[in-house]
Amino acid sequence: MSSSQKKILLVDDDRLTLQLFCRALSDQGFHCFPASSAQEALIILKSELPDIILSDYHMPIFDGFMFRRRILNDKRLKNIPFVFLTSFTNTELMQRGLEMEAVDYIDKETPVNVVVSKLNNILHTIRKQHEKSIYEIRVAAEALNLRSVPAQPPQVSEYYINFLYQSFENYPGGDFIDFIEIEDKYTFVILGDVMGKKWGAWFFSFNFLSYIRSAVRLCVFDGDFSTASILQKINKVILMDPVLGDVLSTLSLLMLEHTTGKVHYSGAGDLPIIWYKAKDQSCEQLSSDGLLLGVRQDGGYDERIIKLESGDQLIMVSDGMIDFEEEGSKKTDYELFFEKMRNKLGQHTSFTQIKNETFSTEKSKELIDDCSLIFIEKN
Amino acid sequence: MMIETHQRSNYTEAKLLIKEANLDVAEQFKSEIQHLVDRGHTHIIVNFENVAYVDSSFLGALVSVLKYCMSKKGDIAVAGLNKDISNLFNLIRMNKVFKVFNSLPDAFA
Repeated sequence: MSSSQKKILLVDDDRLTLQLFCRALSDQGFHCFPASSAQEALIILKSELPDIILSDYHMPIFDGFMFRRRILNDKRLKNIPFVFLTSFTNTELMQRGLEMEAVDYIDKETPVNVVVSKLNNILHTIRKQHEKSIYEIRVAAEALNLRSVPAQPPQVSEYYINFLYQSFENYPGGDFIDFIEIEDKYTFVILGDVMGKKWGAWFFSFNFLSYIRSAVRLCVFDGDFSTASILQKINKVILMDPVLGDVLSTLSLLMLEHTTGKVHYSGAGDLPIIWYKAKDQSCEQLSSDGLLLGVRQDGGYDERIIKLESGDQLIMVSDGMIDFEEEGSKKTDYELFFEKMRNKLGQHTSFTQIKNETFSTEKSKELIDDCSLIFIEKN
Repeated sequence: MMIETHQRSNYTEAKLLIKEANLDVAEQFKSEIQHLVDRGHTHIIVNFENVAYVDSSFLGALVSVLKYCMSKKGDIAVAGLNKDISNLFNLIRMNKVFKVFNSLPDAFA
């Protein structure tokens, strides 16, 4: 099943109706979960989250209204569009159903193709309303100049730095990127991912970014250029923050020394950085030791110093980059990502190739989280 | 309920009944585990044997309940991770945050 295929839960004690609707909806591209009772439907709902539920009113023991009430009392399920299916055109029943926040009701006598169109229309209207709400929030965020990703990469003569960012289904997510240049001598590169998705994670990413920016500046003022020490300070402050205490984030922090080519690297629960060494034409994974920000006082942050030579390349990524969807099932596979990158690195056009391969319009449709990638090459 | 609980020797097994542990179920998971902890089940092993995929929202919820449980002098461990999830745990050092068991142990303290 592809991620774009709409899932529908059909509940009816009449097996013939169930089969008929299931076949018609499957023909129209829906993925159907048939249930011949409300109890069976609730079992399905433990592991599946359909896009829409179509349920009969009249079922023995556990009727459609009781089923609807159970759904409304479940935070995880209550927002799934619910449509009643009935062979009774009783106004009182219809009214009762609509009062229980059912989106609509459909008479069983309605031709199946009309039912399919009706369901498609409902899903289409809901999607449009949703897109409108997202658009309005996005406009407001832009007006407030809230950005978790910079508009442009920094221009540093000793390095080529660029980045890619792709939101998930147009939602901003928890990924954040920033570059801080210090007196033309150092550039700090920040890539983090607040754990969570969509607006919740996006909102907290600003708080994390603020702390990180402040910590970098304050440490530099004090002459402390250790990325591990900066990370330790950020972690301490985050643990003390009553709002962020329950929010976790990964972080990769690099400090590029402009003149020497030395790169200082510390990480918090982040994915390994890929280092392409031009001299050996080989790729290596650089791992850090630290725990996610906000987990424990002692995050165990270490610092690695590597020396980049001309033509060496680095790639930093957020976890959305290593999620793959194959034949309807999702998996997380860093090694698969590493192999894909290995073929692209070491060329003049590496960044463009990665962009075309991983961030093409076609590939973006397969994403299951927001994705970020930072590319650095020593000139 | 998205977890099924079983009382084991000196801990509670919380078996996840879902295939995908993601944002959609993260909040519910948190509230069900917190509820368990509040009822005195302070040593819990979350059994992932039914789970094929975990996203970062769910991992966030898992760490969050660990912190809650530790504040009540308890602990949470994980068991039954498939290969991909186990690799992810190692990659982002979650294996340093949680005790990881291949299968349910005889005892957990």
